[in-house]
Amino acid sequence: MCGIAGIMYKETGDGRNTSTGQALIDMLDGCQHRGPDSTGFALYGDMQPGHLKLRFFVGSGSEAEKAVARIKQILSDHSATIEEDEIIGNNYRAVVEFSGNLQKLSYDLEHAAKVISIGSSLEIVKDIGGAHDVDATYHVHNFSGTHGLGHVRLATESDVKPEAAHPFWATGFADIAIVHNGQITNYWKMRRRLQQRGFEFNTDNDSELIAVYLADKLQQGVKLEEALKTSIDDLDGTFSFLVSTKEEIGYAKDRLAVKPMVMYETDDMIAIASEEVSLNKLFPGQALNTMEPAPGTFRTWHR
Amino acid sequence: MAQVDLSRIEVREANELIRKCGEDGENVDVLNPDARHHIGVGLTSPITVRVHGSAGYFCAGLTDGARFEVENNAGWGLADNIYNGTVVVGGNAGAIAGVAIRGAEVVIKGNMGSRAGQVMKAGTLLCCGNANFMAGYMMYGGRIIILGDSGERIGEDMSAGDIYVAGNVQSLGSDAELTDLPADELDDIRTFLDTHKIPFRGTFQKVQNAGQKLRYGSAEPQVRSIPFFSFSGKTDYWNSKVQEDVYIKSQIGRYRIRGYGGARVLPHMTDLAFRKTIRPDLADADIAKQVEMETEIGGINGANPLKLSMPVMVAPMSYGALSASTKRAIGLASTLSGIAENTGEGGMSNAQRDAAEQLIFQCLGGRLGWNIHDMKRADGLEIYISQGAKPGLGGQLMAKKVTPELAAIRGIPAGIDLRSPSRHPDILGADDLVIKVQEFREATGYKLPVSVKLGAGRVRDDIKIATKDEFDFVELDGMQGSTGAGSAEVLEYVGIPTLAAIIEAIDALEEIEARDKIQIVLMGGFRDGIDAVKSLCLGADAVAFGTAAIVAGGCIACMQCHIGQCVTGIATQDPEHEARYKPDLESQNIHRFFESVRWQMAAITQGLGYTDVRQLSRDDLVALTPEAAAITGLPYEPEHRDETEAFAIKAS
Repeated sequence: MCGIAGIMYKETGDGRNTSTGQALIDMLDGCQHRGPDSTGFALYGDMQPGHLKLRFFVGSGSEAEKAVARIKQILSDHSATIEEDEIIGNNYRAVVEFSGNLQKLSYDLEHAAKVISIGSSLEIVKDIGGAHDVDATYHVHNFSGTHGLGHVRLATESDVKPEAAHPFWATGFADIAIVHNGQITNYWKMRRRLQQRGFEFNTDNDSELIAVYLADKLQQGVKLEEALKTSIDDLDGTFSFLVSTKEEIGYAKDRLAVKPMVMYETDDMIAIASEEVSLNKLFPGQALNTMEPAPGTFRTWHR
Repeated sequence: MAQVDLSRIEVREANELIRKCGEDGENVDVLNPDARHHIGVGLTSPITVRVHGSAGYFCAGLTDGARFEVENNAGWGLADNIYNGTVVVGGNAGAIAGVAIRGAEVVIKGNMGSRAGQVMKAGTLLCCGNANFMAGYMMYGGRIIILGDSGERIGEDMSAGDIYVAGNVQSLGSDAELTDLPADELDDIRTFLDTHKIPFRGTFQKVQNAGQKLRYGSAEPQVRSIPFFSFSGKTDYWNSKVQEDVYIKSQIGRYRIRGYGGARVLPHMTDLAFRKTIRPDLADADIAKQVEMETEIGGINGANPLKLSMPVMVAPMSYGALSASTKRAIGLASTLSGIAENTGEGGMSNAQRDAAEQLIFQCLGGRLGWNIHDMKRADGLEIYISQGAKPGLGGQLMAKKVTPELAAIRGIPAGIDLRSPSRHPDILGADDLVIKVQEFREATGYKLPVSVKLGAGRVRDDIKIATKDEFDFVELDGMQGSTGAGSAEVLEYVGIPTLAAIIEAIDALEEIEARDKIQIVLMGGFRDGIDAVKSLCLGADAVAFGTAAIVAGGCIACMQCHIGQCVTGIATQDPEHEARYKPDLESQNIHRFFESVRWQMAAITQGLGYTDVRQLSRDDLVALTPEAAAITGLPYEPEHRDETEAFAIKAS
């Protein structure tokens, strides 16, 4: 029950890709009425070879200290060297040099702390409150980068907690994030299938399933576009979702067209949102030639 | 020509200015719309509103008589429920364009989104480009003209109306068929296109209802009457109820539809008792004057609240299920007792409006009888999501009751077995719901309380959503609630008992620290003031009576409401039967029943040592059964049973 947004600046564009964070803040501010409980961003920034960006919810005070100590212990066990780290809001953020098994590291970290995201490019920022509240704590507007996703949430079936906010990281798979509006009704069946194959889930939120489902396909060598296509058959329920990887952004929409989605594409960029009002936030005062994707469709854009 | 600039002012202020211009007969230019929602909602003056850019959701919604010109695109629900007037969109329109329209001309120069014209009743919806999925879904009348391709499943479950497609018909929906296009209809279409200067000379295929699902194959037989009280409450494995069920199924060969509620024994208010011994025989005759009972419902977000002389309302029951005379009697009784009445589904009649001093107007998924003019003369607006008797399902109104008069007020063809939609076209989640609530508030100037009717199912989540979507109050209806017609299996086995519903609701609100952010009116099988007081103790702000009010007004509880030949003239639309009902007389009976409720509530409140019903709390109750104790968390003290029985005797 939410509003979603995604933007990618194309390589051919005019170099406005310094404003991804601000663009997503504006878009989400435009549809905050769809989800007043929490707001989140998936942002793709510069990469350094052999480095990972990690983000965790650690809370505050002694609780945070204990969590950070546990995280550092796991990193050390996996021979991951911390290059830089900091506490921002209730997050612990670290950049580490790492060359081992990422899925193993992720699962171990998850058992010790609440992982928000792991990626060479991806960082997820999410917390309770509106787009401007989250920006005030985490300085999202400073994020540059090529593309990103955003989400405002109205909690219905799960709690109003920062970790239940979107975007969802595909637990165990670097750099994959999704934002989702809708409800996956075969969640438990699909989750059990993935769990039987050894995948772990961080939450009971149906949106996490979409992330893990897609990441699993990508790991098997399936193209993102193909994975989106099969997701429309495999996932039951109502959904409009956006997915992003290091170099791609894509959408899928259920066959009943229950959840809204509008997109606007120029030579410079592609922007997708639940409502046109979010797109107009990027282009105030203009009449945009937007398009509503048809039911049961999917598409990707590549950088 | 006035201008409103949405880069400078909010939509709410803009709409007030637009309405003011309407009164002055001045046209309006809307600048920098930037796809904002609710532009022009609720306008009922014949002016022109030009939107210079794109409009968001519900542009021109709930209007009558105006002309809207949107230069670029329009969002979901374009021209929602419009009566007369013209709407022209230069670009594309989103999903459910022309939803529930009751007339008017809606012209979309580009493409239109999914489910366009859903539950429309009259008027013309023209799309010059391609339509998406399920255009004409559940339409009851009017015409849709598509110059491009149709999209899949066109005309899905349409009851009446015409759809014309110039391009490719991708696939037909359930109970839709293709037919030849009569020449005069082509002429009408061309005239319409000429009027709007659309240069198109091609021809069309016509899609219409195939007539397979308008009537049930077999009617419900009228049978020997087994009154509800002998029908229900029996635990015998084989009994007269089972016998009747088997017999009826042997006649109709399908699931059964009947009136009234479930007959199973469920935990209820009777399984609770007051902790303290009450001596109603010691109460003064005018005790009702000594206890504070006046209650305001619906004002917590700034709307004008309903002012109730006691925390009691009439439960929503429709003109349709009930006769006009019955609705009049109930309305009169509500006025005499100083409480609020509710239209239920199916529109507001003048008789109903005149009889009830405080009247809530209910909006259901079929938008049957829903319109801006009656919204404006209501005292509260209510979005029906579901009801306790059949949560998650739409209603049935059998053909016998769908008379020409009733069909006219609802905007549907007469003589069909009407199956009301189970869901709203434009409420597919909490996120859409918040935009819908806002539309109602915009259309009525934020003056009226907006409530939601929830059948108890997923109470914990639903009540949180209701609070987040800023409803002023919720009418929470438990499984013991009744209906004019529902499938028997659903009545018996689907839902959550009223007792469990209120407990879950209060728990959920406490979880999100929002008990003061919404009011709860509890209903579902209440018979007297004792049930009412117990409900208040458990945390309800007020209660509502449906079945009890009907019984007070002459219902013999034969459970054949669905047949349409009610011998008492209550659940019928047949003038011969209705003539037996004496609304002025019955209104006095119903009024006296409500006064007995008032007396009981006052006597018990005072007996528990209070002077105000707001002092009642959980601590005043105990549970008499292990089940009730488990549901409520109240102490299990069966020894109070004797006192309860003694009380019942003394109070009667």
